[in-house]
Amino acid sequence: MNFAFSEDEQKFRTELRAFLASELPSWWRGMFVDDPRAMPFTRAFSRKLAERGWLTMAWPKEWGGAEASPWKQAILREEMWAHDEPRGPQYMNLNYIGPCILRFGSEAQKRRFLPPMAAGDVLWTQGFSEPGAGSDLAAVATRAEPSTDGFVVNGQKIWNSYADAPAEWCFLLARTSVAAKRHHGLSVLLVDMRTAGVDVRPIDSMAGPHELNEIFFEDVAVPRDCLLGEAGQGWEIVTAGLTFERVGIARYARAGRVIELLVEHAGATGLAGDSEVRSKLARLRVQYEAARLLNYRAISLQAAGRVPAVEASIARLHNTQLEQQVSDVGLEILGLAGQLTADDPAAPLTGLLHRQWVRTIPTTITAGTLEVQKNIIAERGLGLPRAR
Amino acid sequence: MDLNLSAEQTILVESARELLGRRSPLAAVRALEAAGRGFDRELWREVARLGWVGLTLPSEGGHFDLLDVALLADEMGRALFPSPFVPTVAMGAWLIDAFGDEEQRRRWLPRLATGELAVTVALAEPGARSLWDPPGLAIAGGRLSGRKLFVPFAAEADLVLVAVAGPAVVAVEREASGLVCTRHDALGGEPLYALAFESVSCEPVAAHPTALPRALDRGAVATLAYLAGACERVLEMSVAHARMREQFGRPIGSFQAIAHRCVDMRSDVDALRVLVHQAAWCLAAGEAADVAVASALAYGLEAVRRILRHAHQVHGAIGFSMEYDLQLFTRRMKAAELGWGPAALYHECVARAMGLG
Ligand SMILES: Cc1cc2nc3c(=O)[nH]c(=O)nc-3n(C[C@H](O)[C@H](O)[C@H](O)COP(=O)(O)OP(=O)(O)OC[C@H]3O[C@@H](n4cnc5c(N)ncnc54)[C@H](O)[C@@H]3O)c2cc1C
Repeated sequence: MNFAFSEDEQKFRTELRAFLASELPSWWRGMFVDDPRAMPFTRAFSRKLAERGWLTMAWPKEWGGAEASPWKQAILREEMWAHDEPRGPQYMNLNYIGPCILRFGSEAQKRRFLPPMAAGDVLWTQGFSEPGAGSDLAAVATRAEPSTDGFVVNGQKIWNSYADAPAEWCFLLARTSVAAKRHHGLSVLLVDMRTAGVDVRPIDSMAGPHELNEIFFEDVAVPRDCLLGEAGQGWEIVTAGLTFERVGIARYARAGRVIELLVEHAGATGLAGDSEVRSKLARLRVQYEAARLLNYRAISLQAAGRVPAVEASIARLHNTQLEQQVSDVGLEILGLAGQLTADDPAAPLTGLLHRQWVRTIPTTITAGTLEVQKNIIAERGLGLPRAR
Repeated sequence: MDLNLSAEQTILVESARELLGRRSPLAAVRALEAAGRGFDRELWREVARLGWVGLTLPSEGGHFDLLDVALLADEMGRALFPSPFVPTVAMGAWLIDAFGDEEQRRRWLPRLATGELAVTVALAEPGARSLWDPPGLAIAGGRLSGRKLFVPFAAEADLVLVAVAGPAVVAVEREASGLVCTRHDALGGEPLYALAFESVSCEPVAAHPTALPRALDRGAVATLAYLAGACERVLEMSVAHARMREQFGRPIGSFQAIAHRCVDMRSDVDALRVLVHQAAWCLAAGEAADVAVASALAYGLEAVRRILRHAHQVHGAIGFSMEYDLQLFTRRMKAAELGWGPAALYHECVARAMGLG
């Protein structure tokens, strides 16, 4: 065991921080802030990361990656999340859409889809959830009817982040066979969002505009070469994808950064001497430490060539709840002024805590709810009978 | 960064689990407690022969550090192995080796490593709320007078390391005249004693100001590791019970309220364990350890409480019976929590270390 980063890794972090300090504009507050500059900025920023070989550094060299160690990847994630994820939607490409195409795609699909991702030139949206298929994802009803040269898609997806960004491609889970048992009739299609019959309708969310959408598919023709893997392999692909995604989000690092800022704020406002404030911040710091190390445990397993399925779910329980607690305690420490939004000039810490609080309302919902995570751990980690 | 066990550590852990499972079943733990004894000296010598007692002492052929001590303590906690491992190995051996003079090292360490010399550590004094309260006992003319409380295994130990004003540490032979040892009637299964010293002859061991606080850090981390192992076993018992016990025509583990309590236990034990490993590693590597140690303690002491509540809830009435083994764990774990608490103390350490003045 070793709980220190190597010199090389520390140097990489320093380099990244310098890069972020020079690239992040002072107005940058993350996505979903109703600022028209945000999306173009994330695209330009991702291209710059790509130029330095940092965007897809986890990927194989053959596909524009650098085969960076899992620890360098972790450092990159931490720095990105601690700085409001300036890659915007592109973290999805890197974390799981790209890796799923690498693992399940044909040579032609890899050649077609991976280079634009590696260059930071393309946006994808995830088309899994439906009005009738949330936690019970296998209930997906969107139909992909086999046709002579591919599929014809009909149905509706919902809660699709970044679909109106606009995303150029959709990683779509659809039903290609109704005869097969629920899980076996699903397939993943890579759908060009510019195809006729695709209709995106934004849904306003508490975080502001441009976060969520519905996507309607009406007789959308999808060519056969856009089927990922085999027909019927969809469930296996999304399960693998969601596991990649869970390790790929360094929420603990964002929480850690907010804690640091709260400590500075407490120092500047004289609250550092208040015993209640001290103990609450210390408690957050301890939970942060636990979350960080549980993520490192999952990464250690990855580095040893193992798949940390249950460990990633446990890390996620800590990450998501930590973020929610940090924002609750943070707002409490700011007191009355905590309710001022970023647009109010009097907002302390430029409205960070308010923003953080809104953003973290759904952290225990997305990518598998807290309860679904617990069901997974109970069954796969503890061997308990399937919970009902 | 690498949180995986090394191959050698894996062997250490696996062989400890095998041996303790065979030689120290819970029936033996019960029998010792019923007989009013703290540990089985024969078995202590046996594990000493395997190198567990001298494992951190280069002079005795040991080449391990506090992280390995924590790994062994974790296995001991899993078995609820009654032994003076924490005071003798995590604290005593280190104090003597790092601060004792040449003659003391030669006199004590070989016997310590073979299990002949069991060491305990006397810390708390009347009125103390925690082990970290600064010691007030003073030495006059090489002699010690006063009282120490909550000293584990004292009646069966051979050497008592006593924290005195300074802070410093002195050694007293257990058989020294003027030392009277009275057992506390306490909740845990591990015997605790009040020691009354009346002009007892003692010899200085460590006077360096960091000696006592570091020894306490080491004892705390080893105890937490023991607790992590005990928690692991309590979780195993809870899961086994949840799978087997049926109500309303199905295993209670299929009720989410029960399953999710087990998951919360899993999540707490895992967090406790990684925090303990980090704390032990930092102490062993000589890295800044304050936040790591205080975080492990702050998290761990509260996690133990949550885990015990969950375990008893999952078990229903059976967990409250003396015949069932859960109580063996509950009482010892609660005693250890009180022994090294309160968690608020460590939150305050973290607050200071994180820059809150
Ligand atoms: C900000 C945000 C972004 C999102 N982005 C995307 C996206 O890009 N693409 C996409 O496809 N989807 C996206 N989603 C949707 C997300 O995946 C779903 O919200 C999630 O899977 C939960 O489904 P649901 O909202 O229908 O809740 P439901 O499944 O209806 O759950 C409601 C409650 O019931 C509980 N529950 C359900 N089943 C069980 C069970 N078996 N045991 C115990 N409790 C249960 C849940 O835990 C939850 O507390 C996004 C959601 C949000 C909030």
